[in-house]
Amino acid sequence: MTKPLFSIKQGGPTSWAIRIACAVVLAYVVLWIPTSGSNSLIDTATTALTLMGAALSLNLLLGFTGQISLGHSAFFGVGAYTTAIFVTRWGWSPLKTLPIAFVVAFVVGALVSLPALRIKGVYLALVTLTLGVVFPQFIKWPKIEWLTGGSRGLVDTGFKFDKNNRTFEIFGWNPWGNLRGENVKPFYFWIAVMIVVIIYLICRGLVKSRVGRSLIAIRDNNTAAAVMGVNLALTKGMVFGLSAAMCALPGCLTAMKGTVTPDSALLTVAGSITFLIVMVIGGAGSLWGPIIGAIVFQFITEKTSNWIEPDEIPGIFRPIFSWSKTAPSGGIFALSLIALMFVAPLGLAGLWKRLIGRIVAVVPQPVGTATLGIPTWEVEEPPSATK
Amino acid sequence: MELFLQRLVDGLSEGSVYALIALGIVIIYRGTGHLNFAQGEMALFSTYVVYQFGEWGIPIGIAVVMGMAVGFLLGAVTEVAIVRPISKKSPFAVFIVTIGLFQLLNWLDGAIWGGQQLPNTGVGSKQIRFPSLFPSKPTDFVTILGANIKIQSLGVIALVALLTVGLFAIFNHTRLGLAMRAVAANGESAKLVGIRTGRVLMASWGMAAAIGALGGVVFAGISTSVSLGLMFTVFIYGAAAATLGGFDSPGGAVIAGFSIGLIQNMAAGYAPEWVGQEMKVGVAFLVILGVLLFRPSGLFGTSRVERV
Repeated sequence: MTKPLFSIKQGGPTSWAIRIACAVVLAYVVLWIPTSGSNSLIDTATTALTLMGAALSLNLLLGFTGQISLGHSAFFGVGAYTTAIFVTRWGWSPLKTLPIAFVVAFVVGALVSLPALRIKGVYLALVTLTLGVVFPQFIKWPKIEWLTGGSRGLVDTGFKFDKNNRTFEIFGWNPWGNLRGENVKPFYFWIAVMIVVIIYLICRGLVKSRVGRSLIAIRDNNTAAAVMGVNLALTKGMVFGLSAAMCALPGCLTAMKGTVTPDSALLTVAGSITFLIVMVIGGAGSLWGPIIGAIVFQFITEKTSNWIEPDEIPGIFRPIFSWSKTAPSGGIFALSLIALMFVAPLGLAGLWKRLIGRIVAVVPQPVGTATLGIPTWEVEEPPSATK
Repeated sequence: MELFLQRLVDGLSEGSVYALIALGIVIIYRGTGHLNFAQGEMALFSTYVVYQFGEWGIPIGIAVVMGMAVGFLLGAVTEVAIVRPISKKSPFAVFIVTIGLFQLLNWLDGAIWGGQQLPNTGVGSKQIRFPSLFPSKPTDFVTILGANIKIQSLGVIALVALLTVGLFAIFNHTRLGLAMRAVAANGESAKLVGIRTGRVLMASWGMAAAIGALGGVVFAGISTSVSLGLMFTVFIYGAAAATLGGFDSPGGAVIAGFSIGLIQNMAAGYAPEWVGQEMKVGVAFLVILGVLLFRPSGLFGTSRVERV
């Protein structure tokens, strides 16, 4: 590898200047969307933030600890249903259900992790995949229909705004305006931002700490980690629980918008696959990966959602997709997933780091970035055949 | 008693589909040690192809054979073009690629034949009427011990039994079968004695996909229609069967496939309040979880030895 052109000292003035510039741009974008963006843009951004939260929590489990979960849609659903049930049955305010959902999903996740301690790699994927399939069926189960509303789902699970708009005042100041109709969208956007910030901070705090290093050790080599003194069972269980709990928060947000049904896209196993796609496209094992991934995912989904009639497809894409009877986003993501595994297994974030690494080097390598690695597990040799 | 017999035959006929999917999973696992999450979707693609042949006026019997050939090609090409180069990288990459294939094939089916694509797992997606391989009019049944047994169910069970016997004949009495067993036992040594392991793996994937294609056609025939979500739960049941039978045991997969069909149909039939249609898949979940927890090698598999 060639020597990079520049080198930036970690914590030096250049490094801080870049950080501050990034923070300013980010803050500008986050403030611009709800104040000046169109309603559809705010909607798109809120959906992207929802995916971001879920993908970030999956990343902590898969990207950093190397445990596959295809059952995160179930935890997402646990969040949605916790909010929905507390709001409709006991009249709680939706925001207050967030901690409850966090705890409930943590307990569920920790319970699921008990078998996960014994089951590894792709077998864990199988178990969690089945969990993801079972969850919506469980919600529809006649035995618990009294609680979950069965396949019809629950309605009126969202906020009840009072006429004087006093409910969500911050120390007597009402930044939301009149919370009616379209005016509600920025409000959801800010809740989504809050949830993503909480999840990001938890992930960052964990990954950049001693715990994070033990997670990466578990990912890279179970046995070696145990030898180094990592308590495998406890760490894996806690991370599984935490990941589930964090994934429940964006689930709560979907419930806060008004209705919850067991067959809505993100609550079925298709949701798990979506989270996985977002995470892998963005970059597994990178803190920023899922954030980039969610933005790219939502952007492509929105742009191509009306590419069903050939006339709607712009320019060069028309001959490629005009035969398709459905929107091409599913195929685009599937192909990019496969292609990424060939060229950049660490997703866009990994690709970016590789490219920028040729030009700029950060010295010394900051903790948590030097350890970027593909989630892995030991392949079991196909067992010797009988007879 | 009549009810019991009916449930028995229904369970076995559904179980035969699970057995076919499980066989596919096992054949691929034995060769490469990978779990193919796209197994069900490969089968679904071939099922749609068979439907298309039917639309073009080809009789269903011939269409099935052609569909299986298409399935074989699909599996073989997938192995050579995608899975083989990627498996040199990491098992994680292979896992992601099989998920990618899952999504790709499901989207492709929707794009070609119409229907709602993921994300929705085919819930509420377009149903296309699908012909049955066997007579399936309401009057086509035989009466055994007072129970009315559908000819279709009996036909399906017989067909799958026949195919299984044929497969085992291939495994045990042909050069290809010998090569497959050698590769499964020890890929490196197989290569050293001159077996073209690449070709064997290609054939394994092709066979798995072709068997799956038959499973898809049979299942679409049982449920009289094909839709994007058709093979999804079937894959779960098939995977449950492969787990129960042991991932490296074809015989186990077949037995476990039939058993899972029986278990879930009996459970749904005799405990409608507890299991019913909703929680049928819960049975599969419990089976997978229980087996992996307490006997990871399944009922008939060889136990795995872990090396550091």
